[in-house]
Amino acid sequence: MRATLAIPGKAAASKRIEAIAQSGPGGRLAVFLIKRITFVPVSLFVIATIAFGILYLLPGDPAVSIVGDAGSPEDVKRIHTELGLDDGFWTRYGTYLNNVIHGDLGVSFFAQEKVTTQIGRYLPNTLELILFAIVIAFVIGVSVGSFAAYFRRRYPDNVARVLITVMQSTPDFFLAGVLIYTVFYLAGAAPAPAGRMRIDSLDQAGFLLIGNFFHGRWYDFWDALQHMFLPGVALGFVYASYFAKTARASMSRALFSHQIEFARACGLGETLVLRYAFSTARTPILTYGAILFGVLVGGEAVVETIFSWQGVGQWALDGSLKLDVPVMQGFILVAGVITLTIYLLLDVVVGMLDPRVTYD
Amino acid sequence: MTSVPLEAGSAFRRRSRLRWLFDRSMLPVVIGIGVLVAFTVAGAVIPLPFDPTAPDVNSPLVGPSADHWFGTDLSGFDVFSRVIRAASRDIPLALVGTLASLAAGVPLGLLASGKGKLGERIMRVTDVFQAFPLLVLSVVLVSLAGRTNQWNVVWAIMITNVPRFMRLVRAEGLALREARFIEAAYAIGATRKRIAFRHILPNVAGVILVQVSLSAAYALVVIAALAFIGIGAPPPDPSWGAMIKSGFSELANGKWWVSIFPGLAIFFCVAWLNIIADTLESKIEKV
Repeated sequence: MRATLAIPGKAAASKRIEAIAQSGPGGRLAVFLIKRITFVPVSLFVIATIAFGILYLLPGDPAVSIVGDAGSPEDVKRIHTELGLDDGFWTRYGTYLNNVIHGDLGVSFFAQEKVTTQIGRYLPNTLELILFAIVIAFVIGVSVGSFAAYFRRRYPDNVARVLITVMQSTPDFFLAGVLIYTVFYLAGAAPAPAGRMRIDSLDQAGFLLIGNFFHGRWYDFWDALQHMFLPGVALGFVYASYFAKTARASMSRALFSHQIEFARACGLGETLVLRYAFSTARTPILTYGAILFGVLVGGEAVVETIFSWQGVGQWALDGSLKLDVPVMQGFILVAGVITLTIYLLLDVVVGMLDPRVTYD
Repeated sequence: MTSVPLEAGSAFRRRSRLRWLFDRSMLPVVIGIGVLVAFTVAGAVIPLPFDPTAPDVNSPLVGPSADHWFGTDLSGFDVFSRVIRAASRDIPLALVGTLASLAAGVPLGLLASGKGKLGERIMRVTDVFQAFPLLVLSVVLVSLAGRTNQWNVVWAIMITNVPRFMRLVRAEGLALREARFIEAAYAIGATRKRIAFRHILPNVAGVILVQVSLSAAYALVVIAALAFIGIGAPPPDPSWGAMIKSGFSELANGKWWVSIFPGLAIFFCVAWLNIIADTLESKIEKV
């Protein structure tokens, strides 16, 4: 009975979706968005399941690491019952999913604090750092890559390729060390590599760069920017190599294409030619930027630790070293949500920038 | 079934397919492999000026000198001896990790490059894995396998590299499926297994080789990053990542040698691996 009722409902829904699709130039995009967004809960379910599954399989006993060496077997048993570790797989899985749906990601074993509160505190720090690093990586990478593509197989190209190899071969945490020694110790041009602001500042976390900028607090903004400089450059310089490689490949393809040949034959200036070439080459570069964003959530954990950045990467790394299960699960969920969001945004932006892409 | 002229023709083609490995433009590859092998062997064989696992407690944090070429660290370990010795641990570990990823990733990629739903499904699963924060996942995985055994780092390398091999082999394999000679192989009734291993695999070998080199470079960085956060070799054994970590707090005080030399060693090896990959890649592009 239910099935027969559901089918007309579905037909009506798909008819409505068709109507949206034909409603105008934005229609296809709207349908695409609806389809993608309806898929989001499914992906989230998969991510939550994996987050639960992996950590269920962890052999280490979190209760033992909570009580420490001094704890007695009774303590371990008590914590087991408190955390519900003795329940069966399905009970725990069901409880976990139910809690996640209700926005409850549990309480950190060690900090005794809600995971959602911790995410709220640490995530802004990470997002600002990642954005800053990606901007640096984009600027360095795309300029080096385009430069190499323009002089492909000539002397400047070789120089650029050496530079790309150097960027690609430097581990980001090593570069962070080199920067701390040279910029902080030798040149004294950067603040001490600890935290986001000067020590006596009232705010130590949050969207400090963006917030202070929009509130016009220039002194604080400058302070936040200075602290952002070393970790941002350490990440940006290393990840610039991938931008540079992508830009070099896609720009040289664009520069040797028929339409660029035609543009030159028409006598357009080189600046304009480069701009046209870039507009065909930007899609792969943008795609790379989105992938990089996903990689950096968690991928910058070591750099965050070095600079005591108090971001989600550092938080998750600490958590996974201590076997803090709710923290790890929370982080996997956050990283998954961010990655999904970024890829969705990417598909929309690429569709707007590249008329050849259709949403079907 | 196979006639004599066909056999002769394929033998000729096989020789010409390998010839590109031995011309002058491959010099960076040969040098790179030579340097890496020499570095690895040196760590295990040559007599070191100091015992890399025995600290000289009377001279901690001595700068580079004629005695201690790269200086000593906080506990008095000789940095030079440790940098060299660590090579014979970190490089083979990276290589084993890469080969394990290769062994798992290439057959899976070939399997996924078949037409039909199976390939799609395999790739969806790897997509989910790629959406995960890999470093944290590596830490979890290594903890799963036990943190004290250094060979467990291989799992961490595999989780980052297997999807890359799969994606690569699948993309190349799918493109090749449309080729005339694959169609011909189907037409004479070759089995799927034969087509995958005899016809597709040799044609993606070059791309795989490039990826092996890139993966080994990446594996070295992963090993170092994990050692940096304290996962890997048990303390007295040297490893580059752990050495960088041990000198890190002194960088802000101007004692640079403890961290910088092992860092340069990583950079040196990774750079050579990247050069090998670049050379092979430009070779494949031209052919």
